[in-house]
Amino acid sequence: MYFKTTDEQEMLRTKVRDFAEKEVKPIAFLLDKENRFPDEIVKKMGKLNLMGLPYPKEYGGAGLDVVSYAIAVEELSRVDGGTGVILSAHVSLGSWPIFAYGTEEQKQKYLVPLAQGKKLGAFGLTEPEAGSDAGGTETTAVLDGDHYILNGNKIFITNADKADIYVVFAVTAPDTGTHGISAFIIEKGMEGFTFGDHYDKMGIRSSSTAELIFNDVKVPKENLLGKEGEGFKIAMSTLDGGRIGIASQALGIAQGAYENALEYSKERIQFGKPICQQQGISFKLADMATMLRASRLLVYSAAELKENHEPYGMESAMAKQYASDSCLTIVNDALQIFGGTGYLKGMEVERAYRDAKICTIYEGTNEIQRVVIASHITDKVSNDHTPAVGKKHGPITGNRKKMILNEGSAKERTDALVAALKNDGFDFTVGIALDTPIVQAERVVSAGKGIGEKKNMKLIENLAVQAGAAIGSSRPVAETLQYVPLDRYVGMSGQKFKGNLYIACGISGAGQHLKGIKDAATIVAINKDPHAPIFKNCDYGIVGDLMEILPLLTKALDNGKAKKPAPPMVKMKRPTPKKEIPQNLYVCNGCGYEYNPAIGDPENDIRPGTSFEKLPDEWICPECGEDKTGFIKA
Amino acid sequence: MHCVRKVTEDLYWVGANDHRLALFENIHPIPRGVSYNAYVLLDEKTVLFDTADWSVCRQFLENVDAVLSGRPLDYLVINHVEPDHAASIAEILLRHPETVVISNEKAFMLMRQFGFSIDSRYEEVKEGDIKSFGKHTVTFVAAPMVHWPEAMVTFDTTNGVLFSADAFGTFGAIDGKLFNDEVNFDRNWIDEARRYYTNIVGKYGPHVQYLLKKAAGIDIKIICPLHGLVWRNNLGYFIDKYMKWSTYEPEEKGVLLVYASMYGNTESAASLLATKLVEKGMTNVSMYDVSNTDISYLISETFRLSHIVFASVTYNLGIYPKMHNYLMDMKALNIQNRTAAILENGSWACTAGSLIRKFLDEELKGITVLDDTVTLNSAMTTAQEPSMDDMVASIIDSMK
Repeated sequence: MYFKTTDEQEMLRTKVRDFAEKEVKPIAFLLDKENRFPDEIVKKMGKLNLMGLPYPKEYGGAGLDVVSYAIAVEELSRVDGGTGVILSAHVSLGSWPIFAYGTEEQKQKYLVPLAQGKKLGAFGLTEPEAGSDAGGTETTAVLDGDHYILNGNKIFITNADKADIYVVFAVTAPDTGTHGISAFIIEKGMEGFTFGDHYDKMGIRSSSTAELIFNDVKVPKENLLGKEGEGFKIAMSTLDGGRIGIASQALGIAQGAYENALEYSKERIQFGKPICQQQGISFKLADMATMLRASRLLVYSAAELKENHEPYGMESAMAKQYASDSCLTIVNDALQIFGGTGYLKGMEVERAYRDAKICTIYEGTNEIQRVVIASHITDKVSNDHTPAVGKKHGPITGNRKKMILNEGSAKERTDALVAALKNDGFDFTVGIALDTPIVQAERVVSAGKGIGEKKNMKLIENLAVQAGAAIGSSRPVAETLQYVPLDRYVGMSGQKFKGNLYIACGISGAGQHLKGIKDAATIVAINKDPHAPIFKNCDYGIVGDLMEILPLLTKALDNGKAKKPAPPMVKMKRPTPKKEIPQNLYVCNGCGYEYNPAIGDPENDIRPGTSFEKLPDEWICPECGEDKTGFIKA
Repeated sequence: MHCVRKVTEDLYWVGANDHRLALFENIHPIPRGVSYNAYVLLDEKTVLFDTADWSVCRQFLENVDAVLSGRPLDYLVINHVEPDHAASIAEILLRHPETVVISNEKAFMLMRQFGFSIDSRYEEVKEGDIKSFGKHTVTFVAAPMVHWPEAMVTFDTTNGVLFSADAFGTFGAIDGKLFNDEVNFDRNWIDEARRYYTNIVGKYGPHVQYLLKKAAGIDIKIICPLHGLVWRNNLGYFIDKYMKWSTYEPEEKGVLLVYASMYGNTESAASLLATKLVEKGMTNVSMYDVSNTDISYLISETFRLSHIVFASVTYNLGIYPKMHNYLMDMKALNIQNRTAAILENGSWACTAGSLIRKFLDEELKGITVLDDTVTLNSAMTTAQEPSMDDMVASIIDSMK
């Protein structure tokens, strides 16, 4: 056994390092500062054959090994963690499931352009209610003839919205936990498939991260990846490999920070000698170098196991967990070595410090990595633990009327809206100040990106005056467009609206925004996209152009007089959501016993989440012994 | 003296009424009594469909003999082995050594368990089997868990008569009347029919649905149940009720107000709530004292109406026991798909409301509990009136 990379692997390292130093490093600071995706660099990575490194040449890949792929991610991350994860998410998450589970047709159609670098890939598993626990997945896929109809949303998706091809997970058999999840290949541009706002991240800001929104997206049946119900298995095995990528990213970020700190420590002279010769600093450097070597050996050996088709799930989890935990220590010490200088924007260690943190979080938090490792070394029983089936969730804002006013002219629709609001008890002769804090406001008129140019904010202001409301906005309108102060954007991360009337103008309805208005008594949505999620979360909706609707609505609310000051707010009531009846129950013809998949049959080792169909054939009624065929669907 | 009635050509009712039994299944009060129906078919072979409870056995035997008038009894078809219909099997077999019992495997197992001695005088049939008695040919159709596992129904394909076992039965002695068109069913019988179905079969909605789907394919002309009236027209009326009950759909928009009151304060609040509901236009309000209303009536009303208000005092830091019993019976009978509101009362530590809410949320299916709760501290005062008004508004809103 000789723990050394091959000459070919080192040649690749030289090639990637050269590229990273020449192409990425000069603009890394700008990419970070401007939250900009390096389109040109990604194109060049394709030309350099990096985008399909570990895939066979016949599928457009470079035909290299997994260690080479790890080296490529490491070398890019050494210079810029964001660029590193673009490659990692593309190769490990977007392409690998198609390579491993795709049909020949799917590989030809999708893997080849991915591996050639002509298309960019991404992976959509995480949801608001399904983080570490994929059993909480709420995105649904319902088979309708030759298509699956997808609905739901995915959050924190790396490479969105830049990617062309997405491997997405959705529930095809409800109430059966992870057994009911299936994988689909989704193409950018499919009708109803849109993106939420770009996240404004702490680090890896050159990578693009956004929300995926599915609204009745028609996905051809042939885009099902693997079989129905195999989604969880596909996701988990993909993440096994993905961890090698993230481990390599952490290794690269740490390596870069270490090299910078080492160099600086040789130049920085205090008390008459370079600080690297002072024990406090030299010990830090020694620890950093040791951790780097340990990380590297863990990463490469996991990659080598994968390359040789040996089990590597535990080893890749160890590599990811150790390399990223160590990375945090290393970037912290590196910045410490730089002292006050390292604390300044523009310093590579400052960026590395921020980039590093994500590595302990995504593609399985380090807590989950330990769960994976522990499950391999303790009882095997824990390996096939099926997570409990989570409760079902409806629209984020709860049960809403969802009355879309689509009869008649724009004027008739706005008049109908005003009549409905008045009927609900809204008094438009009174109003509050436009700058009433959102949390205290009884009414808010809120602008989304759909408002367009800044001058159109006048329409929002006019409407707010006549609606007796304060002005709010979606996050991008405050943060990116800067039309309103930051304290006026509404959302989970911003201000929460708890008043009676929320009029969302040109807001599509990203999850985090909807969470910020779920306590609103009445939500009105005005948007030109009929598929915008806001319409599933509103009480009244008008599909139409803001430029046309807002002035009409303003006019309809105008009683010709100045608004009187509003009395203290009385919170309006909302109807209690109807309680759903559990589905997929089966009852016994021998005694009436009811089998509920959400409960399973624990006495007979049937875990919660097991659908009736998935019960073993030898399973019998726990009460009377009737066999499985003696059950009917309730 | 025998007392029989002709159902249709070749078919006679030979059952009997019981006015002495206080509690059906020793649990449900039957102030109007009950009938145990059995039927004799006179064909090339003679056939008795089911028997009767031991309490009316003498009358039943006289009736059978009268119809047979000396002919041997060739077959006894047993659709349901529950003793109110099967207790007289042994007596029939003793008097008619020629008789062969026709039923299914599970039914024979139960007969042996109950000690209805049939020895080897039996013919086993299963789902879909056909048997001809001469002019009349019958098909046997399994009706598992309506409301026992062995239950089956027998359909005479010659004249469209369905021997429906306990399905389509009702409480109440029939006292001379036999057919649905001889009474005003919708005025005088539906409540007892509902009370019978909901308390006896209510839990098994999916199995009733299963049977109704199978029955939809056959041309039924007359329904001969084991209790109550024979249906020979307007079948759709009763089948529609069965569709609603077995899918747990309320028959009517209305409010069932069940209250538990120790000294009349909760009752007084319940009365005020009922008044406010009626004043707001919801006149279909029925109010019952849980302490002195037999639970079978409450269950029946629960199946009928769309909304339930639970008005309960707190007792031993819990739900008033009789109210708790009602809730448990709702669970046992699988009641679902209702809207509920809660009025709670407690003099020092009021827990009833949250416990009722928890029970409805966790133990029952599809019960929407309105957020507005009225909480009383011993007695209603004007201070609680706004919350009661809110509850009334919520109830009315939820009916839209």
